[in-house]
Amino acid sequence: MRRVFTAIAFLFLLGVRIAPAQPTSALPSLSDSLKFAVVGDNGTGDSEQYDVGARMTEARNAFPFDFVIMLGDNMYGRQQASDFVDKFERPYAMLLHAGVRFFAALGNHDNPNNRSYPGFNMNGERYYSYVRKNVRFVVLDTNQLDPRQLAWIDSTLKQSSDEWKICYFHHPIYSDGGRHGSDVELRVALEPLFVKYGVDVVYAGHDHIYERIKPQKGITYFVNGSSGELRKGDVNPSSLTAAYFDQDQVFSLVEIKGDDLYFQARSRTGRTVDAGTIHRQTRNQTVAP
Amino acid sequence: MTHRTLHRVAHVVFDRFLLLPIGALIAVVWANTAAESYFVMARRLSFSVNEIGMAFFFALMAQEVTEAVMPGGALHSWRRWTLPLVAAIGGIVGAVTVYIGYVQLSYEYSLISAWPIACAIDAAATYYFLRTILPRSAAVPFALLIAIVTDVVALVIVAPRHLVFEERVGGATLMLGALGLAALLRVTRVRAFWPYLFVCGALSWLAFYWEGLHPAFALIPIVPFLKHEPRPMDIFVDPPDDDAVHHAEHEWHLIVQPVLFLFGLVNAGVALKAYDTGSWAMLLAQLVGRPAGILLAVGAATAAGLHLPGHMRWRELLVVAFATSTGFAVALFLATGVLATGPVLAQAKIGVLGSASGLVMALIAARLLRVGKLAH
Repeated sequence: MRRVFTAIAFLFLLGVRIAPAQPTSALPSLSDSLKFAVVGDNGTGDSEQYDVGARMTEARNAFPFDFVIMLGDNMYGRQQASDFVDKFERPYAMLLHAGVRFFAALGNHDNPNNRSYPGFNMNGERYYSYVRKNVRFVVLDTNQLDPRQLAWIDSTLKQSSDEWKICYFHHPIYSDGGRHGSDVELRVALEPLFVKYGVDVVYAGHDHIYERIKPQKGITYFVNGSSGELRKGDVNPSSLTAAYFDQDQVFSLVEIKGDDLYFQARSRTGRTVDAGTIHRQTRNQTVAP
Repeated sequence: MTHRTLHRVAHVVFDRFLLLPIGALIAVVWANTAAESYFVMARRLSFSVNEIGMAFFFALMAQEVTEAVMPGGALHSWRRWTLPLVAAIGGIVGAVTVYIGYVQLSYEYSLISAWPIACAIDAAATYYFLRTILPRSAAVPFALLIAIVTDVVALVIVAPRHLVFEERVGGATLMLGALGLAALLRVTRVRAFWPYLFVCGALSWLAFYWEGLHPAFALIPIVPFLKHEPRPMDIFVDPPDDDAVHHAEHEWHLIVQPVLFLFGLVNAGVALKAYDTGSWAMLLAQLVGRPAGILLAVGAATAAGLHLPGHMRWRELLVVAFATSTGFAVALFLATGVLATGPVLAQAKIGVLGSASGLVMALIAARLLRVGKLAH
């Protein structure tokens, strides 16, 4: 009997450990807060991408986000003029029509020349930075992290006096995705800068999953690489995993007000698959589900 | 193991540049078992190894090639260069075409910038392989010439594409100073190598650094001012330690060997999980594109009236074509020169490491075609 209880207890614990987090928090949608959405690995032109676009449009009715950050692989396959229509302008037509701007990072499938495409708001740059309210966004090209880019990251973060610092790029430096996983070489180059200059949150894609990583050295990492492509069942949860979802396409909604960042990850069907709050502290973050 | 056996093993390891693959093997194991500590180490050492230490290696290669092609040298007689030159160009075109074609068909545009890496041939690996399989055959210097031409072209492509440093003015003045001082040493009959390498070389290194050129090539302009003696043997073969020039070259080798070990250790480490389109593209370019390019180019050249070197037949040429498909050390160097840290570099490295299998293909070809020592 004891063995049965032990086995049940073990399975229960295992189940608790590997089960995707059950979201409990809703976005407050406060007035005067910063609101944005997140998509990654989205540019397939397939029906799933259009579904996610439709859910984002619906979400915006209750949560009027101003812009969308794109985590790379903004376009797969052929990348001619008609592809920009089929894989970007049509899936997000309602959002674009409503004046929502997209700020893209380059992924491995993106033609580097796409940085000049007006819809991606990269102004011809591989890496760039912008500020919205109290948040500094730093967008990187992790295909090649050359010394000039590293020097630029250093100076950009050093000069930033913004309350929040959010970096986003394509290749995750923390990930439990089975296909790619954490890029340790990039981590060795980037993490010291993130820690040194107090980056709060990092978004990446590449692994076609959704995952939230437990804060590492005070920084919360998200992988949101399933807004078009999806690799079902690809997450191998580890001690790093705070929450994950790998059964359907996902986009995220984020709201920042004062020292709080509220996040919500939604599936292609509109179901909330993860949510929580990140409280900004001088250096140590707390994450509440 | 006796002292004598150990001495012989060390001799073989040193003579055949095996410290580099040994370093590379350690790096691959380390990067896949304790990745973070490996990449921290590699990051700390990469500048001193790739930008400073490798300058001694390329200078030594320049010295040996200069001595081999000068009158009385093993590779003298410019007539011999025509067909290898054609073959080298064919190999480069074949490798680059396959690489870019594969990447384009896969729509992975970020990988295109890695194309120069596909050009590289590991001349040392090719040489020692062919010298073992085809001793005393015309195929050995033929392959060596293909490798030299190919690598010179590849290195010229890489030199101005260096990503590491900000360009500054003043480099040209420093370069003139370095060359002037080297000329002065030569006129005053200074025979020792070290004033050339460490004084003029240091100035030249700074000049390259400031001009945004790859500083690993900085000692090459100084090499023509050194004392040379014709090399009746091929490059890579250490001459007997019988005079001042040869003695200096022996000492030079002693500096280069640990540099090559560190080069393998610092640059070859890659998470094997990072394999992707770029790895396959690089592998196909090296193993299929280059041999096909060489064979087609030589076929066209012989149809136009050129002849294969004496006693060399098409089946030997096929083995040569496969033996030159290994990029390994030179390709690793090109990779670090062309690409910055990131997944593109990691994928290319995996393809480069995999290209060592070109020697296995050459071995199989030699066995099937009954070539050289494998004829029986």
